[in-house]
Amino acid sequence: MNATLSDPSFWSRLQFGFTVTYHYLFPQLTMGLAWFLVFWKWRALRTGDEKYNEAARFWAKIFGLNFAVGVVTGIPMEFQFGTNWSGFTKYAGGVIGQTLAMEGMFAFFLESAFIGAFIWGEKRLGPRLHFVAALAVALGSWLSAYFIIVTNAFMQHPVGHQKNPDGSLSISSLSVYLLNPWAWVEFAHNQMAALVTGSFVVAAIGAFYCLRGLHPTQARMYLRAGTFAALIASLLVAFPTGDQQAKMVGNHQPVTLAAMEGRFVGGPRAGVALIGQPNVAARRLENPIEVPGALSFLAYGHFGSYVRGLEDFPRDKWPDNIELLYYSFHLMITLGTLFILLMAYANFQAWRGRIESSTWLLWVLMLALPFPYIANTLGWMTAELGRQPWLIYGLFATHDGYSRVVSNGDTIFTLIGFTGLYFVLGLLFLYLVGREIAHGPAPTVVTTRTDNASVVARREEVLA
Amino acid sequence: MIAMWYSVLSLMLIVYVVLDGRNFGAGMLHWFVARTPGERRQVIAAVGPLWSWHEVWLVAFGGTLLAIFPRLMASAFAGYYLALMLILWCLILRGISIEVGGHINDRLWQAFWDLVFVIGNTLLAILFGAAAGNLFRGVPLDADGNFSMPFFTDFRARGYVGLLDWYTVSVAIFAAVILAAHGTTYLALKTEGPVHDRSAKYAQHLWWVVAALFCVISVETWVVRPDLLPRAIHNPFAWIGLSAIVVSSIALISGLTNRREMRAFAASNGLLAGLLLTGGAALFPVMLSSTLDPANSLTVYAAAASPSAMHYAVVWWPVGFVLAVSYFVFISRRYVGKVSVGRDNQGFY
Repeated sequence: MNATLSDPSFWSRLQFGFTVTYHYLFPQLTMGLAWFLVFWKWRALRTGDEKYNEAARFWAKIFGLNFAVGVVTGIPMEFQFGTNWSGFTKYAGGVIGQTLAMEGMFAFFLESAFIGAFIWGEKRLGPRLHFVAALAVALGSWLSAYFIIVTNAFMQHPVGHQKNPDGSLSISSLSVYLLNPWAWVEFAHNQMAALVTGSFVVAAIGAFYCLRGLHPTQARMYLRAGTFAALIASLLVAFPTGDQQAKMVGNHQPVTLAAMEGRFVGGPRAGVALIGQPNVAARRLENPIEVPGALSFLAYGHFGSYVRGLEDFPRDKWPDNIELLYYSFHLMITLGTLFILLMAYANFQAWRGRIESSTWLLWVLMLALPFPYIANTLGWMTAELGRQPWLIYGLFATHDGYSRVVSNGDTIFTLIGFTGLYFVLGLLFLYLVGREIAHGPAPTVVTTRTDNASVVARREEVLA
Repeated sequence: MIAMWYSVLSLMLIVYVVLDGRNFGAGMLHWFVARTPGERRQVIAAVGPLWSWHEVWLVAFGGTLLAIFPRLMASAFAGYYLALMLILWCLILRGISIEVGGHINDRLWQAFWDLVFVIGNTLLAILFGAAAGNLFRGVPLDADGNFSMPFFTDFRARGYVGLLDWYTVSVAIFAAVILAAHGTTYLALKTEGPVHDRSAKYAQHLWWVVAALFCVISVETWVVRPDLLPRAIHNPFAWIGLSAIVVSSIALISGLTNRREMRAFAASNGLLAGLLLTGGAALFPVMLSSTLDPANSLTVYAAAASPSAMHYAVVWWPVGFVLAVSYFVFISRRYVGKVSVGRDNQGFY
């Protein structure tokens, strides 16, 4: 334990892990919700029905708050490549810098130019341009995700690079790097997961209004659109994207697959553990309940395929936290399965026209709100813990990547700083979003003091 | 190729300073140019609508720096660890203050976020100024191209230096004053009513202080880095920057005295850009100079990534640049005109 606490790469990992996990709570909703906004703006344009504009306006406010926290917590991510991971930057900056710079040039400029106009410029832009602005924001956020996922895919499965004489990496083919097969699969899986978050949140707020008996027209729209998109997205997360992702891991990171499944001994007819805890010291899975042959089939296509176990690999190539990796992966799978079941039932009830009247289903939909966030986080934990002990798989070890000149104390200090700042930011976010939800989508006239005429004007503008 | 990328990165940084500098300046003098809650909302509305687009220039600069000069990013960002973290936290708080300040119609709430807006912007102006001072003075780079330094040591600008010494503090003060002048010049252009009148008055005074401090800083820089001047006079970009400074100064004086606000603001942008351009040209080709031993200094050639990274980026960077500017033109045309106190015609902020 002392060895861990005095290991600088541990603290830099913890700080990066914490700041990126916290940051990603926001973009996942942004990316999911963006397409709801595009959809409602499009419906409003086609049908002229004001209820779609009302929905877009309400969700735009939540989107805006979410986007703002996403922007400010995103800046530290890029900075930390230099501050905490300068070894990695020196080694691979010539490759990964391409996508990090492209993200700024192609995605962030697009998003940031249109976001303000979308949220507060409905009247100024007119209906057509307002729809275009929503589309621009949605495209910008997905483009940004693609560039970041290419960067991550390079760390998982490096392609398109070559070694420089001094040992560092440089890019040898931009197209190979950008079209990394791992990136396509990871992007598809991740974006579907973001849609799961977005649609669960829309459905949850619809369920909340339904249970409260508020805003009936809007609540019905949120419930219907939310549960429908949630079912499609939950299915797509599992198949084909999740399945392909697992095959990718099986083919390129077999030791990671063994650790994810807690398989210490290799063999044919490998099972998927439904229940069990890895005991790394004793090198076995405790009280396993397995589906025989399932892992062989899922990873390699045949029930009889040989799946290597951890003991087929040298000990120093094992992921360094097998228990956490195992739990993250299994809990993600469990949640994903429950999402499909819940949303299949919700869509069945919606089809029968009974969703608004089944109180307990509405309760479950409302209380399901945090779980897609947990599942997304677990998915990323699986990806990043599974990659260990490598920073770039097979090329560059994590303990070679941290900044030698930054002391542990400095990193702990800033980690505590981020924790405190993000805690306050979280409270602020929840308070403001809670206010918007309590206020709801219905038009409301605000009476204020004269010196706040601007706020009145703003409401008028929104309502006009 | 390497020199060209150095210019591109300088350009990105110049655009960032010119754009976000308005925000820093307006933020520093927020309490002075705007007295009533309504006037304070007016200032935020004037700088607010595209603040995140402005900040993307910093993010895009960081990304491009990582792509083209990874060794500089590795060395400088790790070396400035705590100062950079402070900058990050200020950027977070400043952004949040703009976004949430107007969300609740309550005096205390807005006064609190105004306070955060003022502190965040003031610290950012000073910290970026000190960072610029550090670039000119140099840092204690060792033979491996690494450094780490305390906030201050003995305040002398030689040997084992800290982040702050007499020179970097004066650059920080200069930066704060020139950005304040820039911000008030922008507010004079962008607002009407009492905020406009006060901003215009502050701008006139502040630019004279800038002129005085500029002479002081020039002498100080010559004392700290006598090698910069001979290097600068052989660099055509330094002459372009110098001409920009001269032309902008004339336009600024004319703009301020004739109350031609557009001219004054354009000149203010030109002056900032000219100063940064001259500075960047004088530093070239050293990106990070060592106060311990000139042999340790990090030049653009040593900091650069392999040629392939630059060749690829030459293809996509101009496309991204043109797109970014076209979005900006499209959107900012919808925010033309002055912001009044009575009616918030800039949308939400």
